[in-house]
Amino acid sequence: MKFIKTYIPLTIVVVIGTLTLATYFIPHRVSLLYLDGMNSWLSIIYSYAILVGFISLFLSHGKKIVRQSQGWGYSLFMFLGFFLVFVPACLSSGKQSVGGIMTSYGWTYQYLFQPLSSTMFSVLAFYIISTIYRSFRVKSAQAFVLFLCALILILGNVPMGQLLWEDIIGWTGLHIANLTDWLMSVVSVSAKRGIMIGLAVGGVVTCLKMIFTIERSYLGRDS
Amino acid sequence: MKQFLDKLFKIDRRWLFLLLTVVIILPIAFPTNMKMKSISSSTQTAYDFVEAMPERSFVLLSLDFDPGTRPELYPQALAICRHLLKKNMRVAMMTFNAGAPGIITEFKDQIAAAFPDKKYGTDFVVLPYRAVFLATVTQLATDIYAQYPEDADGTALRGMPIMEGVRNYKDMGLAVEISGTTLFPSWIYYVGDKYHLPVLGGTTAITQLSYSPYVQTGQLKGLLGGMRGAAEYEALINEPGIATKSLNVLNFPHMLAFIIALLSNIALIVMKFI
Amino acid sequence: MSESMLILGAWVTGLLTLGIFSFLYKDNPIFKATENLYVGVGMGYYVSLYFFQVWMPLVYEPLKQGHYIVIIPSVMGLLLLSQLIPKLSWLSRYTLTFTIGYSCGLAIPMTINTDFITQIWGTVQPFSLISKVGPMAIFNTFFILIAVICVLTYFFFSVESKGAVKKVSNIGIYILMAYFGAAFGNTVMARFSLLYGRFNTLYKYGGEHYLYSTPVLVLLFVIYFIVKHYMDKRTLSVQSAQQN
Repeated sequence: MKFIKTYIPLTIVVVIGTLTLATYFIPHRVSLLYLDGMNSWLSIIYSYAILVGFISLFLSHGKKIVRQSQGWGYSLFMFLGFFLVFVPACLSSGKQSVGGIMTSYGWTYQYLFQPLSSTMFSVLAFYIISTIYRSFRVKSAQAFVLFLCALILILGNVPMGQLLWEDIIGWTGLHIANLTDWLMSVVSVSAKRGIMIGLAVGGVVTCLKMIFTIERSYLGRDS
Repeated sequence: MKQFLDKLFKIDRRWLFLLLTVVIILPIAFPTNMKMKSISSSTQTAYDFVEAMPERSFVLLSLDFDPGTRPELYPQALAICRHLLKKNMRVAMMTFNAGAPGIITEFKDQIAAAFPDKKYGTDFVVLPYRAVFLATVTQLATDIYAQYPEDADGTALRGMPIMEGVRNYKDMGLAVEISGTTLFPSWIYYVGDKYHLPVLGGTTAITQLSYSPYVQTGQLKGLLGGMRGAAEYEALINEPGIATKSLNVLNFPHMLAFIIALLSNIALIVMKFI
Repeated sequence: MSESMLILGAWVTGLLTLGIFSFLYKDNPIFKATENLYVGVGMGYYVSLYFFQVWMPLVYEPLKQGHYIVIIPSVMGLLLLSQLIPKLSWLSRYTLTFTIGYSCGLAIPMTINTDFITQIWGTVQPFSLISKVGPMAIFNTFFILIAVICVLTYFFFSVESKGAVKKVSNIGIYILMAYFGAAFGNTVMARFSLLYGRFNTLYKYGGEHYLYSTPVLVLLFVIYFIVKHYMDKRTLSVQSAQQN
């Protein structure tokens, strides 16, 4: 049983990983055919992957409704939301507009999905202002550097901030445009590059460990 | 005084939320008209690259953003697309982001309205959504028609005037990626570096700094960052639009953030000495 | 699409947007309902998209044309569903190992080339142009090299951080702090941009054309919270009276 449950999957990862790695170094038509085939198969696999999330979500909310646990009424809204989008999608054959005219599916995308999605992300702006007020306190030299750079970028990103800087400090010859550009294209590049190189080394090592089956945590238990 | 400052630090954050709301709503209702005093180097680099491209170059414009990041990235896409069409390039719009197809439809309609002399199928085309980035970009290196036999409306791609002489990356001039997700560096990994197609892009302000090393090495031919990048590009092409208007509104919440950060730290210092 | 559907859309947008923003005042049933609606709408949208834009052209159409090879990746895709049944979850390993092996095999050369070799080249290559550029560019070239080394030293955990290594590592920390500060400044702009987008939409839908949806909805929400506040207060006072 261990052969089917563990060794065959590990063999797959070794074979596929090594073959794929080899195609980078073998510029032959066979490499291209292999990559094309694999890419097509991946596309199809991904089209099924969303079913896992879909079924899992339905089961968890369905159980809540059946058992009438606390807050089960809200789970009804989840199902309502799903069918409000899926049914029009089926009726419109997945098209959001036909001949320039918005379909019912297009309407649900424009007036249900878009506002909900955008608003969820925009709520964070309020928490940013709260964070700035309560937590953005300078208590060390390193925090001061962070604070200073943040303030420079906050001012430099908008016309009014640039005007304020030029009025107060511009006479010294230190222009905020130059300072912002220097921070973004020299200081940040250096820091990010160091992080990038470190991550690259770590990432490559992890991938090699996976291909050579040293790292098996993705298999789950009894691996 | 100490008690007052202490109380001020512990103010209910809902008052801050209300203040932010007012500070954003007022400039929307009563707009101002200020212009950016400078253009950042990465935006200038992007503009210069497009300016130097030969006419009728084929450009892939990948709009990989969803409604969550739309306010920042849609103006960038619009500004770049306007520049490309003004320079008489051929633009193929595409996406790998599941939340983008609806946005692309709106984008295409807006472009068509802004450029009545540009024809769909001759100057611009919309390619259908593809779920797997890698499969698609790898195949575009050999044969675009294998991945995109038809456009988003089901019309055969081969034979369209816009596709004349275009079969793979060798026949293309540029790939423009507009995204706030990890798709952005993937274009550099699997298209720019591997197949040597020039890539330039636009991303959210949050992720802009993460990709600035690629601009320095030349792996990216330019980078627009957030609303500011879009406003700068609009200034460069001399067509102030959504981004310029938005940046005028953003003046006030930014100044609020600046004042609050400064005041809370000044109060902290004052409290230490009382 | 008819005018009435567009106006209805404006009202629905306003209701959903304000429903989510209402959480900023206080957690309430309208927010919870909107939150769950978002989950359902999101899932509905993604399932529809994958079904019509991916599964139909890549699986259904080829099968109709007799290309039965797509059955193999379809079976592999379906094996992923075994994760929902604990006893059979091992079946999904076949698909997972397939995708992981392929992704790792692709990632290794790309990462080495793009994020390692080219970045080191980008740090060192400007030195070849040092005789042709101005003083600021020369300073920047040296700055980037020294800063990258300092940041890498900070992340190098195989050597104990003391003496010269500690000093270099500390400089790396300051460079990182500057980066994080700049990133925070940009984050502020990004978040405010998203918020502006929502408020702009609400402002647009508050006009006469959309029957003043935003001010009416805001008023309704305010009335709801006032009424809820007094009802909660009354319930509390009744409860405390009963306890006494």
